[in-house]
Amino acid sequence: MPHRSKRVAVTSPQTRLAHSRGRARGRWRVPRLDQGDAERAAVLYRRQRVQGLLALALITALLLGLPLLFAAWPELDELRLLGIPLSWLVLAVLPYPAMVLLAGWQLYRAERTEER
Amino acid sequence: MVALLALAPVMLVTLLIGLRGVAAMRTTSDFLVASRRVSPLLNSAAVSGEYLSAASFLGVAGLVVKDGIGSLWYPVGFTAGYITMLILVAAPMRRSGALTVPDFAEARLASPALRRLSALVVLVIGVLYLVPQFRTAGLVLSAVSATPYWVGVVIAGAVVSATIALGGMRAATYVQAFQFFLKLLLFIIPAVWLVVQVGPDVRHDAVHPVEFTVFEHDTTVSFRVDAILETEEPTPVVAPDGSTTTLGPGQHTIEAGRTLVFAEGAPVPGIRGDAPLGGPDWQRPLLNLEDAGHPLLSTIAVIVAIVLGTMGLPHILMRFHTSPDGRSARRTAAITVALLSVFYLFPGVYGALGRVLLPQLYLSGATDTVIVALPSQVDTGWAGTLMTAMLTVGAFAAFLATSLGLLLVISGAIAHDLVPAGLRKLRFSAVPAAAAIVLLALPSAHLDAGLLVTWGFTVASSTFCPLLVLGIWWSRLTAQGALSGVIAGLLASSGSILVALFGPPLDGWPAILIVQPAPWSVPLAFATMVAVSLHGSPAPWSRTAMLRLHLDEEHVRGSARRPPDAT
Repeated sequence: MPHRSKRVAVTSPQTRLAHSRGRARGRWRVPRLDQGDAERAAVLYRRQRVQGLLALALITALLLGLPLLFAAWPELDELRLLGIPLSWLVLAVLPYPAMVLLAGWQLYRAERTEER
Repeated sequence: MVALLALAPVMLVTLLIGLRGVAAMRTTSDFLVASRRVSPLLNSAAVSGEYLSAASFLGVAGLVVKDGIGSLWYPVGFTAGYITMLILVAAPMRRSGALTVPDFAEARLASPALRRLSALVVLVIGVLYLVPQFRTAGLVLSAVSATPYWVGVVIAGAVVSATIALGGMRAATYVQAFQFFLKLLLFIIPAVWLVVQVGPDVRHDAVHPVEFTVFEHDTTVSFRVDAILETEEPTPVVAPDGSTTTLGPGQHTIEAGRTLVFAEGAPVPGIRGDAPLGGPDWQRPLLNLEDAGHPLLSTIAVIVAIVLGTMGLPHILMRFHTSPDGRSARRTAAITVALLSVFYLFPGVYGALGRVLLPQLYLSGATDTVIVALPSQVDTGWAGTLMTAMLTVGAFAAFLATSLGLLLVISGAIAHDLVPAGLRKLRFSAVPAAAAIVLLALPSAHLDAGLLVTWGFTVASSTFCPLLVLGIWWSRLTAQGALSGVIAGLLASSGSILVALFGPPLDGWPAILIVQPAPWSVPLAFATMVAVSLHGSPAPWSRTAMLRLHLDEEHVRGSARRPPDAT
């Protein structure tokens, strides 16, 4: 008789969660890493932490810098680009490409760290 | 009415997916393995699909009309939250194998008490996040079908709980991903059409706001929520029965449900507690919570709550588990930033046009309906009706996607973490949960939409954000410290919200720090966690438990295997 694999329900993560969490209870075990893995993990942890702090500083500068800019320089509301107040554009458009670039840069660095 | 008919297919399709989930979504384990290899692009579309809620689809544009251009800080924060998620949480959270924060608490700190507390926090966040969704759905349904607000809320609640009870929780990743692209199209096409269709004059007015002081033509205002009007000179108004009354100078309370016609040339009354529409305050790119007069503090408070709160949203964290490993979870977060960036370019367009074409919504308190009301102002023919229908469908799809995801997380927290029960009960614990949220949404119509939207984020930022960040990046965190910090953050943020709802009215900066406590409740939670942890000593395996989260799967050789799957 040919081997037939068991039929399994294909479900969303939510449903898998719902099924698994009832069973997963009380199966906690002490986490273990062998020597080599622990050393590698410690190196990765330190590198990712330094890189993460730099990226966090940049996103903080963007998110706190823009309100400060608007508060300190209300004349931005009077300047216009293509008829639209410059301060509106700086708030409604500028952050998005900046954030996409920052996300791409951070992703690239985080992945390169792990490739070493 | 046509718009209401257009809702029927959305509900039907959602119900059908739910029914199919029960009967037909069974196939071989090969397929199951394939479904675990969801690509980062597909998964980030699913994350965005689940994240873009009624508050994003309708609420932001409504807030622009109501509070001004500064409201565009909300979508900036909604997007920036995924950058902090990418930097701090995405990959380690996936590598922990935990699906939810209660799971994470147990995996990292081995504390059942913390698990139960986290489940309670999931409940609080879920309810605070869902109430504004139901409120918006109710306002929109009542606007497109001319029914009372409560009917809209009850219909919304009925559809959601029916879908869940029938098995709609099984909607798979590709359905959510499809939903995202559907919402994107249904949002962008009408926006472009509106900008083209309104003509040069309206386009000019949209970017040259003037204060709304005089009614330019006879204007009918249907008050959706109780409003206190402030008039400075006698203002004649016509009631629906044709009788004319004059509102003398002073304050007038208008109950929800009344309709008044303001004559051409009549002065526009002010609304207590709101900046005048189109005035200098409205044009500033900063928020002014409670009209308390500290725009910089208001803006930063909202940004802190949203950006840090996004990391702890339970329905989003769970989505990341669909990624096969930490690396693709990180990619998912990065692509999500890009997808959301496209979507959030457009709420401002609707807001600016809405201020010109529908200024009366500012009086009626139904600014959330501005997006669905706009097309008929521009075109009364079939094109306008089609656009209204598209936007209503998109809004309802947004409401359903977010509400279903969150309700499932809430019922999971109740069924698995708080009360021991099987899956059968899980499905039906969603129905009373939805009913409770309907009951909470009914009296919420008059609450400030901007506050409602951020309160769920506020609690998440004061509880789960410190728990995840310290749990992932600080090996000295102890279970006791985490417990104390989560309790401190939960009490501070939810207590503050209760004071804002039921306490005495406040002025100045204390008012801001009460309605938006994140600037102090987040540091408080972090400080409590660190202080209590330093006082005790971590478990001997604590450092290993943390380092394990930073080890990339491809290089794993020994004891730490690929993260366990949830099957």
